[in-house]
Parts: sequence; C-alpha cells; structure tokens
Amino acid sequence: MRLFAKTRSFLRNLFLARRLDADLDEEVRAHLAMLVEEKICAGMPPNEARRAARLELGGMDQVKEQVHEARTGHLLETLFRDLRLALRMLLKSPGFTLTVILTLALSVGANTAVFSLLNALLLKTLPYSHPERMGTIYTRITGTQQSEERHNLNGEQWELLRDQVPALISGLSGSATGVNLRAGASVQYVRNGRVSAHYFDVLAIQPIIGRTFSEDEDRAQGPKTVILAYNLWRSCFAGDPNILGRNILLKSEPHTVVGVLPEGTETPLHADVYTPLQAGRGGEGAGTNFQVITRLREGGDWQEADAQINRAWSHRAIRYESIGNPGANVSYYSVPLQKGQTDSLRPPVLALMISAGLILLIACANLAGLTLVRMLRRTTEVATRMALGASSWQIQRQFWVENLLVTLAGGAAAVGVAVVALRLFFSLLPEHFLPVAGVPLDGRVLCFTLFVSVLTSLLFGMAPAFAARKLEFRSSMTGRTVAVAGSPRLRLSLVAGEVALTVVLLAGSGLLIRSLIHLETLPPGSNPDGLMVAKVSLDDVRYHDPAAFRRLLDRGVAAMRRIPGVESAAIGSNLPYEFTGNDWITLSDGKEAGHEGGTDWVYVTPGYFETLQIPLFAGRVFTEADGPEAQRVAVVNRAFARKFYGGGNPVGRYINKEWEIVGEVGDVPLSSGLDPVAPLQTEETLYVPAAQLEARTLSIVHVWIQPDWVVRTGGQVADLTGSMERGLASADPNLPVSGFYRMKDLLARTLVTQRIEVVLLSSLAALALLLCAVGIFGLVANMVSQRTREIGIRMALGSSAGQAMMQVGRAGVIASVLGLGLGLGIAAGALRVMRSAVFGVSVYDPSTLATAVVALVLVVLAATILPALRIAKIDPARTLRVE
Amino acid sequence: MEQTMLLQGTLDLLILKALAAGELHGLGVSRRIQQMTGGTFLVKPGSLFPALHRMEEEGWISAFWGMSETNRRAKYYRMTKAGQKQLETEARRWGRITWAIGRALRMA
Repeated sequence: MRLFAKTRSFLRNLFLARRLDADLDEEVRAHLAMLVEEKICAGMPPNEARRAARLELGGMDQVKEQVHEARTGHLLETLFRDLRLALRMLLKSPGFTLTVILTLALSVGANTAVFSLLNALLLKTLPYSHPERMGTIYTRITGTQQSEERHNLNGEQWELLRDQVPALISGLSGSATGVNLRAGASVQYVRNGRVSAHYFDVLAIQPIIGRTFSEDEDRAQGPKTVILAYNLWRSCFAGDPNILGRNILLKSEPHTVVGVLPEGTETPLHADVYTPLQAGRGGEGAGTNFQVITRLREGGDWQEADAQINRAWSHRAIRYESIGNPGANVSYYSVPLQKGQTDSLRPPVLALMISAGLILLIACANLAGLTLVRMLRRTTEVATRMALGASSWQIQRQFWVENLLVTLAGGAAAVGVAVVALRLFFSLLPEHFLPVAGVPLDGRVLCFTLFVSVLTSLLFGMAPAFAARKLEFRSSMTGRTVAVAGSPRLRLSLVAGEVALTVVLLAGSGLLIRSLIHLETLPPGSNPDGLMVAKVSLDDVRYHDPAAFRRLLDRGVAAMRRIPGVESAAIGSNLPYEFTGNDWITLSDGKEAGHEGGTDWVYVTPGYFETLQIPLFAGRVFTEADGPEAQRVAVVNRAFARKFYGGGNPVGRYINKEWEIVGEVGDVPLSSGLDPVAPLQTEETLYVPAAQLEARTLSIVHVWIQPDWVVRTGGQVADLTGSMERGLASADPNLPVSGFYRMKDLLARTLVTQRIEVVLLSSLAALALLLCAVGIFGLVANMVSQRTREIGIRMALGSSAGQAMMQVGRAGVIASVLGLGLGLGIAAGALRVMRSAVFGVSVYDPSTLATAVVALVLVVLAATILPALRIAKIDPARTLRVE
Repeated sequence: MEQTMLLQGTLDLLILKALAAGELHGLGVSRRIQQMTGGTFLVKPGSLFPALHRMEEEGWISAFWGMSETNRRAKYYRMTKAGQKQLETEARRWGRITWAIGRALRMA
C-alpha cells in the first residue's frame, strides 16, 4: 500500500513536474496573502503587515526548494538535471569531448582486447566436465641444471603410469598429424589425433554414436579403428547414422569407424579424426614423444596420485633427465590441466597486459591534463555559479557527472574498438595457433571494461578535482583568465611520465622488430626466389615399403620436371626454414672415432641441392647412382664439419660404421628440433639420399614429417600449382596436396609467433606514441592560448615571434627531456625480461634505443612546433584590444 | 513567544492531530498547532510545506483546492484512513516515550 503510494508520487513528480510546480507556487502565494490579511485584521498597517508576512514566510523560492527536496525522487531529478547540463557542456566543446572519447576508446579498447585474450587463455575454465579434477604431470629437476616444466613422456613412463597409478585415469596423445582420408572417390587431407584408450574418459567426452577406443585397440598391432569428429562426419559422410562398423581408408589402410564425437566437442588436439595411439616402448615410444592428461578418480586426491606417480616412475630403466646433469634429483607432481596447457602463454600474455596497462596510464595522464585545462577555462563559469549559491559539492558533482558521461561513452566505443582489434588479430593467426576455440567478449570482459573505464575516470578526474579545490573562485570572478600558478608543473610531470612510458614501449617493440628482421634476413644459404613447394603427407602404409617409396619419388620428380617452364625439381623431407627431424650419430674413423652427437637430419632426392641452389663446398652431391644397393652415402653441411671435425674436411670420412660422407654443402637456417635457442638458426645437418632409406625409418618418419615437393621455375609459369597437382596425381592419384607455399610462406610459418609479437607490441607502442603526441600538443597549445595576451604584450614591446615560440615550446621540450631520461632508466631495468624473446640482437642494442629516442624526439618536436606556430598569427594590437 | 525545537517526527504527529478535527489549509494547520500547544510550537512555512507534501506522498493526508474564510482560493488538507492509523500508531509511540522519559527523570 505504502509502496504503491510512493511509486505513484514518484511517477507524478517525474511526469507532472510542471503542473505540480504551478500548484505549489499558487499554494505558497495564497499562504502569504492569508498571512498578510491575518496581520491586517490584527490591526497592523498594510505595509508593515506585508513586510512581517514575508519575514515569517522566509522567502518563497526557498520554501519551494525545500518542498522539492522533500519530494520522492528528488535525487534522481537532480541527477537528470546534472546529466542534462553535463551533456550540454560537453556538446559545447566538441573538440575536447571527441579527444577524450577517442583517447578512451583506443586505450580502453586495447585493454579490453588484451584482457579478452587473457580471459580466454588463462582465466576461462576448460570446456570439460569437472575441469578441476583434470591435470597433467610436471617434472621437477634439482641439481646443477634445474628445471620445472611439463615433460613429454616416453613409452616406458606411459606403461608405468597407466598400470601403476590407480588414483588417476590417464590419457596419452601423440603429436597430431596430417593424413589422407579416402571416402568413396574423394581423397581429403585431414588432421589425425592419435590417442590412447581412456583419453576421451579423461576429457569426459561420450561419443554421440558408438564408443571410445578399447584397451585392446590401443595395444601395439591392435585392430585399426577410428573415431570421427562431428564436423567431418557431417561433411564427409553426410551424417550417415549407420557409419559404425564401416571401413574407411586412412593412410591407405582400412580403419573401422567405432564412434562419432558430439557437435562442438573440443579436445587439446583439434583433430578431424582420432586413431588409437598404440604406444609401446619401441619406435616412437623409445623417445619422449607423448603428452599426458589425467583425471582424478572419484574419491582420490592429488597428493595420493603424486605419490603413486613418483613410486611408479622410480622403477624406470631409462633416465633421460639425468643425462648431462649428474646427481640430479628428479620428482614429479600434478598440475591442473588449465595451467599446464597455458603455462608457456602466460609470460607473453601477461607482458601484453602490462603494456596495455601502460597505455592506460598514458591515456590517464593525457585526460587528466585535458580536463585540468578545461576546468581552468571554466573558472569564470564556476565562480558565477558559486556566487549564485551553488555549493562546492554541487560544483564537484557536476564535474564528476561530466567525467562519468564521457567515460561511459568512451567505454562503449572501446568495446567496438576491441571487437575490431580482435578480428584483425585473428586474421593474422594460423589455424590452431591458440589452444582455445575463440576469444569471446563475455560478461567478465565487459565487467573489466566497465571497471577500467570507471577507474580511468577516477584517475583522470582526481587531479583536476584537487586542483579545483585550491582555486580561489571568488577572486577569479573579476579576472579575465585566471593565472594558474602551480598547475603547469602538474601537467609537465604528467607529460614527462607518458613520454617515459612511451620510451619503454618503443624500445621494447623496436627490439622485437630488430629481432624479427634479424631472423627474416638470415643468409638463406640458398636461392629462395622462383621456388614453389607442395606439401604432401606420406603417412601412408603403402609407402612403408622402400621400393614403392622410391618409385613414387622417381615418378613424381619426373612428372614435375616435365612441366613447361620448370627448370629443376626435387623432393626432400624438409626445406630451409622448416622444422627438421634429428638423429643420433657415431663417428667411425680417424681421431674422432667413437664420438657421438645429435644432428638435424634431412632426406633428399638427387637434384635437391641444385634446385635450392645450396652451394657445394667439397666433394659431390647425390646422384641417381646412390641407390639402395650402392654404398651408403651422406652429405653434411659446414656446421656439421665444424662441430664434429673441428672445421676439417669431412669428405671421405665415415659415420655410423658404413656411411661415407661424400660432400660438404653450405648452411641454411632451420627451425631446430635439436637445440632450439632461436626460432631459426643454422645447425649441424646430415643429408641422406631418399633412395637409401630403410623400411624401419619409412614406417615412422612420415608421422611427423610431410615431405616437400619443390620446383624451380625461370619466370612466371601459368597454372604452376595446377600442373604440379596433376603431376603428383600421375604418380599417385590418392595423394592430396595439403598446401602450396613459396619459400617466404615457409619463413612466415616458422616466424608466426615473432610476427604476432611484433604486431601486438608495435601497435601498442604506436598507440602510446600517438597519445604522447596528443598530450604534448595539448600542453603547448594550451600554453599558447593562455598566454596570448602576455605574448601580445611582449611582441608589442619588441619581442619577435620566434622568441615567443621558444618560450612557450620550452615546456614541451622540458617535459620530453625529463621523460626521455626517466624512460631510458626504466628501460634499463625492464628490457631485461625480453631476453628470451629477442634473437640476434642485445636487449640494450644501442641502435634500437637510438631509433626509439629519435622517433620520440621527432614526434615531440612536431607536437610542440605545430601549436607554437599559432603564435606567428598573433596580432599584438588585436589581443590587447580583446582583453 | 518562545520557540521550542521540534523533536524528529513530532511535526508529523502534530500535523495529523491538527487535521484530526477537520480539514485545514497550510496556515490553518500552523495556527491550530500553535493553539493546541499553547503557543509552544510555531511551525514555519519552510518546515510546514515540505512536511505536508511529504505526508501527502506517504498517503496519510490528501489535498484539494477550496475557499478560505476570506474567500480566497487555498489548498486544503484532510486526513486519510491511512493517516488515521498513522496518528494512532504515532500517538501510542509518543505516549510510551513520554512515559519512559518521565519515569527516568523521576527515578533519581
């Protein structure tokens, strides 16, 4: 009842305000009139009665205002009034409003975009049931070489884990590979996830039809079965509900379909088809090639599981962690899967978030400066309002309402900026680059944006509000523009601060750019122009046979050579810039006999070195004569000769007992699997003839490696890729090409992480530079307009425009010099953390720092000179008259 | 005439009591309170009108335009049923307070 009455009066006050006011006015007037009559009746003379009545009433407007304040919804009404006024004030200075909103949109937008990445990668829980019960295993090594990270497993570890750790359900996966799927007449290249039995139990995924792999299917030589991802089932098999039990040709081997995964299922492997891993201690399982995920069984706890893991793995025969680290103490512990999967992403994402935070600080400094100036410009208005009876609280409230209004507008624009930025970012990423399906702008991100916007508004609103309290408004009523002592110093330090932060960001992004340039301009060691590459998966049971493999290569190369315009063609397991396999070799003769070591390993057809134009330094390259029955031969590169023979001539030497080194060629940059100190480096490399590969090697090498079919053309060749595809089909119609590449594409594929880092940090640095320029421009421009009169007087007294410009521009220069010094100081400390992301250049690279400083100085000069030029237009006579 | 500070909430009680005898305009309410309290309370328009409007919004009193004794258009207030109830509640509460305060003062 009472609530009803309240609501009714609230609505009435809101919508019938004018009528209510008229009513109130008449009521109070009548009251006054009756008071006068009463007093006249009591015998007072009319004049005195009127005076006494007015005195007793105490001011009509005051009474009315008091009634207003007593009414329901009074606060809201005031807020509306403040908002209306704020909107009017903001629209009156569109330049200021636009600058603030744009600054907020860019800076908060950048933060929103980065935070949504952080949210998707580090904060969002995994899309599986009870993700808190899921884990992976970390290895802690103490001793001379300490480490603490997720290790891959070998076959022995897997068997012990699977059989002797009852507290966990464990699932194992090998690296996802590209394979050829034949369904009816079509052949398709698909991504194959190789997983153990119970892998889907760990993920808590139930197939929509069929079942997951049984333990029997996961044993070596077990039956060949396959589980299809939902999308592939729909696209390739038209969602056939009777697919179970059907045989499909995968890698040219029949596999029986046993299940189909539900729609939208995600696995860490992002595969189209899943086959049993069948991990054992031999072959792939001899090395640490597997990744493990675990799920705690009902009633188990992690401590118990870890104890079981350590006990089980204490029985291991192979202790690879101790190699080269004698006396190391090795222990294992479970880590939540979320953390395990994102650990490597954490440092770059956090670094990005910190950089975005710096942008926000710079933006705050700018906005504080802007609002401060605006505040000072409005001194007269504020003084007038105070004189008319506005309280200090009302004035302050007005400022904050204005702040809030632009902040909310800026925050809304920021969400738009973030959406665009994320879309651009995603267009740069290759598929499956991020371990998550998408980066949504969810509730948490929007809350973050709102929080950051409001925080920004508090930060940039605070300085002017404090400054406002100190101002003597009453005295400024009479003055023209108020003389603002003290505040330029505040602005100066704000600008200096943003210059300092910008220096750090510029230097950081400069280093990444230098590092990328270094990697992209490594001596190619070959001639990358005019090459076209087709990648084809040979993970196919038919090519486990060396004779069939040789036939395919011979026919393929011949077909490629027949293409008009093609000068030469070859096939190799890798090309420069690509990830390579590696091998362990033993030297067999001379004083180095018995020495062992790892080397990158590449198989090639004759013509490989000629096609790529890799120079031959000594001996010969492979020929057609280096066949399966001939002497086993190898070609090594210069880095190999340096590492194993101390730079001596390797030609004629023997390795692995009977392999003769017949040639030495130049180094090419590779993406190392051996000792990845940088994404690209030149390393010891062993080339072997493809024709001499054994069945044992052929049965596993193509699981990881998709060979390259490469041709060199003299000039532009029409439909080259089409011709290559047809040539390949003439050698084997069931081998689809997974992609065509130029050498620069292969380089780009390897350096994608570095490129993304450069793009992200450089955009942030550019944004910082822009904000900085706006900040300095604002500082100087404001100086000019505030001191127009003073400058006019000086010029009237004989000072030149140049001198006046120097005087005004000095503030910008001082701020920049202070900021530069401070920034270089911060950079000295902060850039150290970039050591692991920078290659071929020192983190204190003088030329990078110099470039950053020069770029900043140029921008600062431009931002200082442009507004100062306005001084030239000052007409002393006119300025003096205006005042 | 001596003025006494009105206790919080007392004004509402006095206005309701003033209106209990019948409808009055603002000045009438003011004079009635003055008369009821033997001139102890002189309610100024700055307190009276906000209170009247607030009480109208609460639904304790209702307003209408009428003619004053001097034939002038004036806004009159009358007590509603809710106001009657509020008066009873407030009167009881007031009784309890005065009794308690009086007792406390007699104790010493």
